Amino acid sequence: MRQFGDWAGRVGVGFVRSCVVAVVAMLAPAVWAVGVAWALWWGPGNPWSWLGPFVLVCVGTLALSRRVCVMVRSLVAGWTGTLIPAGYREAGPVVRMSTGYWWNGFGYERTRRDAVMDQKWRIRWKDPATWRDLRFTGIVPFSAGLVACLPPAAMAAGVLGLGQSGLAARLAGVLALVVAVAAAPYAWRPIEPVAVRFLRPSPAMALADRVDELTAQRADMTVTQAAELRRIERDLHDGAQARLVSLGLSLATAERLMEADPEQTRALLRRARGDAATSITQLRELIQGISPPVLTERGLIDAVRLLAMDGPLDVTVNADTRLRLDPPIESAAYFAVAELLTNAAKHARASRARISLTAEDAAVVIEVEDDGRGGAVPRAGGGLEGLQRRLAVFDGTLEITSPPGGPTRVTMALPCE
Amino acid sequence: MRVVVAEDLYLLRDGLVRLIEACGHQVVATATTGPQTLEALREWRPDVSVIDVRMPPTQSDEGLRAALAARREMPGLPILILSQHVQQLYARELLADGSGGVGYLLKESVFDADQFISALERVAAGGTAMDPVVIAKLLNSGPPDRKLQQLTEREHSVLSLMAEGLSNQAIGRRLFLSESAVGKYTTSMFGKLGITDDNDSNRRVLAVLTYLNEH
Repeated sequence: MRQFGDWAGRVGVGFVRSCVVAVVAMLAPAVWAVGVAWALWWGPGNPWSWLGPFVLVCVGTLALSRRVCVMVRSLVAGWTGTLIPAGYREAGPVVRMSTGYWWNGFGYERTRRDAVMDQKWRIRWKDPATWRDLRFTGIVPFSAGLVACLPPAAMAAGVLGLGQSGLAARLAGVLALVVAVAAAPYAWRPIEPVAVRFLRPSPAMALADRVDELTAQRADMTVTQAAELRRIERDLHDGAQARLVSLGLSLATAERLMEADPEQTRALLRRARGDAATSITQLRELIQGISPPVLTERGLIDAVRLLAMDGPLDVTVNADTRLRLDPPIESAAYFAVAELLTNAAKHARASRARISLTAEDAAVVIEVEDDGRGGAVPRAGGGLEGLQRRLAVFDGTLEITSPPGGPTRVTMALPCE
Repeated sequence: MRVVVAEDLYLLRDGLVRLIEACGHQVVATATTGPQTLEALREWRPDVSVIDVRMPPTQSDEGLRAALAARREMPGLPILILSQHVQQLYARELLADGSGGVGYLLKESVFDADQFISALERVAAGGTAMDPVVIAKLLNSGPPDRKLQQLTEREHSVLSLMAEGLSNQAIGRRLFLSESAVGKYTTSMFGKLGITDDNDSNRRVLAVLTYLNEH
């Protein structure tokens, strides 16, 4: 009984779904059918009789295509859980210029409404998704749509047949009903593979997305770089440069006082030496922050080993000696490991850590694991998220598993030749 | 003393040569690249040499590698490494053979000419001259060691100064202690660290450093 209930449920749901798919898939063919009917009605007598139906078919298909695709996408997502990315191009902001005109990314318009409309149509026209949607609208009626029509069509035929008085017609009606019931649970299913195949973003769209991603990264990098340069400038300006000025002053004064006051001259010279020593120390710290000398002199593995020695944690380092990286990637990897070790000591209160550097076919995989209290999550604007963004510049990835109570394990993968 | 100076920057090389010669020592050869340095060390076997870490042709750790190679060929060859930065990794490598006659100092240590020359002479005599920063890092790196934790604060500072290469007398001056008091601290310190006593102070420094190096 229960099995029968399940089966009946499947048939009912399948029948409804098949009907929905059939209706959505046949929206565009319905418009085409109206156009054809209109052309036939006007007849071949009038030489311009094709124009009206032609315009109707074109405008109707264009207007319906995106809606049909949006509906199919949400139906497939709701019924099967398969998410198909839409990949429509986003509209940029429409801003008012100082001249009073509105700029929409393509041109100037007198009013905001005009600018938005203009932008909408330009994006629609240029968006490869529009052409993909049109193609799908053409394909779906003859593939998934046709199959989905089977249960409702068979059902209609069955009802009609049973309404007749002849035995043959009634038999055919029963047969049609059986077909409708048997096909119902399956007939709607082809919509999923068809949608996945023809509705997913095309290579051109994937490329466009990649360009957007890279543009965003480049902007991000420019900002970070400018901030870094400003920091270096400030450090030099307030630190070494000021010290050197003070040193020069001490020397100049000492030169004047040399004969008159040897005692004070000696004090000034001592101070000059102190200034020189301090500015050297400040420069050294600055250089350490820009590019650690060990990294230049010894490469990533020894630099990481030194990090392990200098820090407060008990760190073991396992490194694959085949590791060869480009200097910029090496530097990014070094600073990433340094930040993770700092996190482990400061936030996770770990006492031990393990670092492994492995060279794989096309990537270097760096794993940092600590025995701290865990619970680390990348937060917007936080250190881990910043790390992810800096690695993303090299197409690197950062994955983190950090259950509350620990241990925290961070895996970074950086592509290399 | 016969000295070899290896430094690629002209201003620094010239300054070093002048400083060393002004203090009555003889600079027998100068080198500006890693391979040249190794060659000069082999040819002259100097009483002591002053070597920069970063040198051509690769601008990596050429000088350090030449120094380590020379000491493998000629054990105990006194070498003073001068660098813009000090790293405990390099210090451990220099001290690894435990044969003494090693120095590792920042370039600004030449600001105090007297101290620099005395460090140079100490290294030539088979002792050590280590930068205090690097010693502090060596002592504090890794997990807190049980043996090192047993040391009192005074013993710890005596150990640091000893590791830099100072004699008991010099340590006493630095810490305002009598030489015999320093002697007492070192004896108890060695007891705690499990190092059997030895009269030669350089040997003891090396023993300490070798001990640290194993961690």
